[in-house]
Amino acid sequence: MDSRRRTFLKVLGGTAAAGFASQPLLRAFADPPVASDEFFVLIHAAGGWDVTLSLDPRNERRGIIEPGSTDTIDTAPIRLWRNAPLDADTNTFEMVRPAGSSLRLGPAIGNLADIADRLTIINGLAMNTVSHADGTFFAATGRHLAGGKPVAASIDTMLANEFGRESLLPTVSVGYPSTYVGNELDARVSPLRVSSVDTLSKMLARSNVNTTIADRQAVTALLSEESRELAENSWYRDEIEGFGLQFQALPRMLSPDVQSIFNAGALAMAQPGLFPSPGLRFQGRAGVNCAFAVEAMKRNLVRCVSFSSNSHDTHTNNYRSQPLIQQELFDTIASLVRALDAAPHPTRVGRRLADHTHILVVSDFCRTPQINLTMGRDHYPNGSALVISPKFVGNTSFGRADDDQLLPAIAGTFADGTRAVAPPDLLATFVAAFGVNPRKYLRDGDVIRSLLRA
Amino acid sequence: MKTTLQRAATALLLTLGCNSTPAPPLAVSPTDAGSVTSRPTQITPTPVTQIPGHELIAQDRAPKEPPRLMPAETLIRSYIALFGGLSPQALQTRLRGTTSDNLFDTWADYLSALGVPDYAVDIPRAPQTNALMLAAFERIGVALCERAVQNDLRGALAADRVLFRFDLPTPTRALTDDEFGARFDVLHRRVLGYPAALAPEGRIPRFRTLYRDAVTRHADAGARMFNGPEAGWASVCEGLVRHPEFHLY
Repeated sequence: MDSRRRTFLKVLGGTAAAGFASQPLLRAFADPPVASDEFFVLIHAAGGWDVTLSLDPRNERRGIIEPGSTDTIDTAPIRLWRNAPLDADTNTFEMVRPAGSSLRLGPAIGNLADIADRLTIINGLAMNTVSHADGTFFAATGRHLAGGKPVAASIDTMLANEFGRESLLPTVSVGYPSTYVGNELDARVSPLRVSSVDTLSKMLARSNVNTTIADRQAVTALLSEESRELAENSWYRDEIEGFGLQFQALPRMLSPDVQSIFNAGALAMAQPGLFPSPGLRFQGRAGVNCAFAVEAMKRNLVRCVSFSSNSHDTHTNNYRSQPLIQQELFDTIASLVRALDAAPHPTRVGRRLADHTHILVVSDFCRTPQINLTMGRDHYPNGSALVISPKFVGNTSFGRADDDQLLPAIAGTFADGTRAVAPPDLLATFVAAFGVNPRKYLRDGDVIRSLLRA
Repeated sequence: MKTTLQRAATALLLTLGCNSTPAPPLAVSPTDAGSVTSRPTQITPTPVTQIPGHELIAQDRAPKEPPRLMPAETLIRSYIALFGGLSPQALQTRLRGTTSDNLFDTWADYLSALGVPDYAVDIPRAPQTNALMLAAFERIGVALCERAVQNDLRGALAADRVLFRFDLPTPTRALTDDEFGARFDVLHRRVLGYPAALAPEGRIPRFRTLYRDAVTRHADAGARMFNGPEAGWASVCEGLVRHPEFHLY
């Protein structure tokens, strides 16, 4: 344990303070291990989305299914909405069939339709709950709540534990259901939970009214020297050496380059594609979070960025906005992918960030196939998820919900027999894609090999 | 993020602070502050059994633990006690100040970075420092020390001061090594709890250089900025409240 921690402290100094790589002590540790070339963006579509408008589209009345229609939806802002007759005076939508793709999508899919060849869709997820809290944590941890408490680590924590121990910021969690539960977890990967990335900017802001940056850097340099001297005279050196290395990393942490990734205005300047004009009505913060992810990953500062979107919970006539809420989220994710395509990988020369960044989008559950008495849809124990990852087979849909009731249908044969796919299977497959044994973190779930690239 | 637990932690701190009484002023001046002004004679190690009266005393052979990080609540309580014994809310108001110099926000903004746990979502207490935590230490340390210079060093008589319980030469002139050492000892005892003379040998010269460099940098400071001695003592104060010995036990 001691040697492991000491190794980390040294690597931390090397990774976090790459700008100091000319210093002999740190040069040897400046190159992160191969495993840390991967980055992760985990998104929770909060509130439970209506999959019949996007990932598992339904455009005909069948069984108890009432498809989205011009009676129940504001169709004007939905760019891919094309009327298809439902009955005499009501229209539903035509399926979206991206060119060169076998996928059938709903009109709320937005710009993700343009990159259908990179989408891996999981439908008919057996959520077995209609509770927001339970569904949220089931989707993120693979376990239902027990006594109202999460009982397993969330997917961002799992990934940070595997690949982010040496990162300056292993996980930045913006309202994501991040949990830190389990005996296998390293203390360093406890998620940094914030309400918005701007919150962190307060920690890094400095005033130059009374004193100057030179004054503060002199103090930091002195403390680094004090730490070195204390460590030399200590039997237990790790903690104090940790201080010293972190003091050395602090100037980089406070550099304008790093501070800019915690500032929404600077992020908008750096990633204008994620801040469309006019601004988004529902998912503006998703743009900030995605821009933060890209900029932080470009600088190799963070391993996982996880965040929750604005709510899809539409029980009443606010359901009219459900497709727009989704379209804005999917548009933002598509812009994120484009930004990752354009960004160079921080440690792999000649590679794009997109080649090593993996996106997982989940939700609490989906919404009822029926329209309720207040023109909305309620909670329903089915779900869908979306993966965009070079490790996964794209242009693919796995699992299904039945045609009449939109309930999870048998997706295949698993270790425990034939059944529907469930969140633990998805999470197990996601971590296994990177060579991680799912049983290290997940009690349940089978790896779905057919979803993974060879 | 202000979660319910963090709000509760803030409320607890407010309660604790309201019950606190300011530390009584110490009658420490630069002259008597130096009562321990040199390192003690090094004592040759002796087996405990050879010390008279200790022949039958059992030695503690329990496994020892490495230094641990001070809990964030204790850390904040220490800030409050050292910088005037105000309630957390009152100290926050003082730290924010009336100017727009952006020195401080609210305690709640820093709880997560300082490692306060959030058991509602199973986020445990941060057991060790990270780069962001050290950035928060700096942010808070700068605010505490610069406000202390403005409110304590500038305003009050030496005997009435809370932190800087020493006088400065008038008119302003450079401090001799001894004069600096005596004043530094006051701060060292106050913040780290023991005489500076007992610290590792390099500490006093190191802080003296820090002080003098700051004085030099601020020799031609504008009217709004700290003058040389003010900047020097602010830097020394920051060096002590951000010191590893202040955060570990």
